[in-house]
Amino acid sequence: MKIFNYLLMGGWLLCIPMPSHASLIQEKKCSECHRLSKDGNEKIGPDLFYAGNKFQASWLKQYLQNPVTIRSAGGTGDPDFLKGTQADSQRHPALSKKDAGQITQELMELILLDLPEKINHLEPLTKGQKAKIKYEFERTFSCISCHQSLNLAGKVRGGISGPSLVNAGNRLQARWVESWLKSPKTYSNKSRMPIYKMADETRLRLTQFISTLKNENKR
Amino acid sequence: MKKSSPIFILKYCVFLIAVGITGCSEKSAEEPRPPMKTESLSSTPIEKTTPKPVVVTEKTRETYQWYCAQCHGIKGKGDGINAKFLTVPPRNHTKASYLETRTDEQFFEAIKFGGLSVGRAPCMPAWGNTLSDSTIHELVRYIRELCQCEAL
Repeated sequence: MKIFNYLLMGGWLLCIPMPSHASLIQEKKCSECHRLSKDGNEKIGPDLFYAGNKFQASWLKQYLQNPVTIRSAGGTGDPDFLKGTQADSQRHPALSKKDAGQITQELMELILLDLPEKINHLEPLTKGQKAKIKYEFERTFSCISCHQSLNLAGKVRGGISGPSLVNAGNRLQARWVESWLKSPKTYSNKSRMPIYKMADETRLRLTQFISTLKNENKR
Repeated sequence: MKKSSPIFILKYCVFLIAVGITGCSEKSAEEPRPPMKTESLSSTPIEKTTPKPVVVTEKTRETYQWYCAQCHGIKGKGDGINAKFLTVPPRNHTKASYLETRTDEQFFEAIKFGGLSVGRAPCMPAWGNTLSDSTIHELVRYIRELCQCEAL
């Protein structure tokens, strides 16, 4: 009887589907340019082991079909990064709609930690709040020196050593932005961005401001 | 000398005021101006004294390349990849004529608390939460090495 139980349990274990992110991500060799776990050195493309925390699925699916430049100076780990000669040289390969859909699904399963869903759905900033936090974005925290964003007239402004934030509101999940600002070391030991200590309230506002930056607001 | 004429000083003051009002990468009149003090800057006291002699190491140079060179350039000439996108150009760390008018303490403060803290451009963020005081002291020494100058 005991043997039968073991057999039954063994069969049941075999029926559990294996984690699915092994498949198309592996087939497309994403790991040649991206880290899929925190182990090992950073690679030329952005880390993807927390892709499910970081990205919005709709953006990923679109990006994988029509890649756009996010870091116009190249990746920070690139030896030529500081020379300013990397513009557009690291274009991501474009995938078919079907493959993009599947990889998006697999990437969204790569979760590093549980982030509070409610931050993705905060009340929008009032006009006054937005003006105040935009000021802090530019002057108090100097974000604009390294990140492109949109000014109040919808024009692109800012430095290029960090990823562009022009479409951050469509690209990133607000709760990840908040988490990154709070504790960047959770995600990367080798960021070129300064670490900020700010009040929770300020960080939430800054996150909300970054979430308002969208391509469709560009003029 | 022409440089010391009252008109030059006046122009300089106007420039400083203009720099103080505008942001880092645009000249915008629409911005409000809340008080300059910030949470991140006010909490930590400034370390006034350096007990041990500060030595520039390979690590110091690497730190400069990793963080500072993004704006100040690989050789510190103020021509980093962000430079052309900023309204106020990053400081050229090889230019002795200006840097010798600044003290090491001013450098230290600018790095630790950001450009605004020493009345300079807001483009430079505060690095005090990222770099230790001793690393910042080393960077100050390294800038002195780049400009081959000391405070007058």
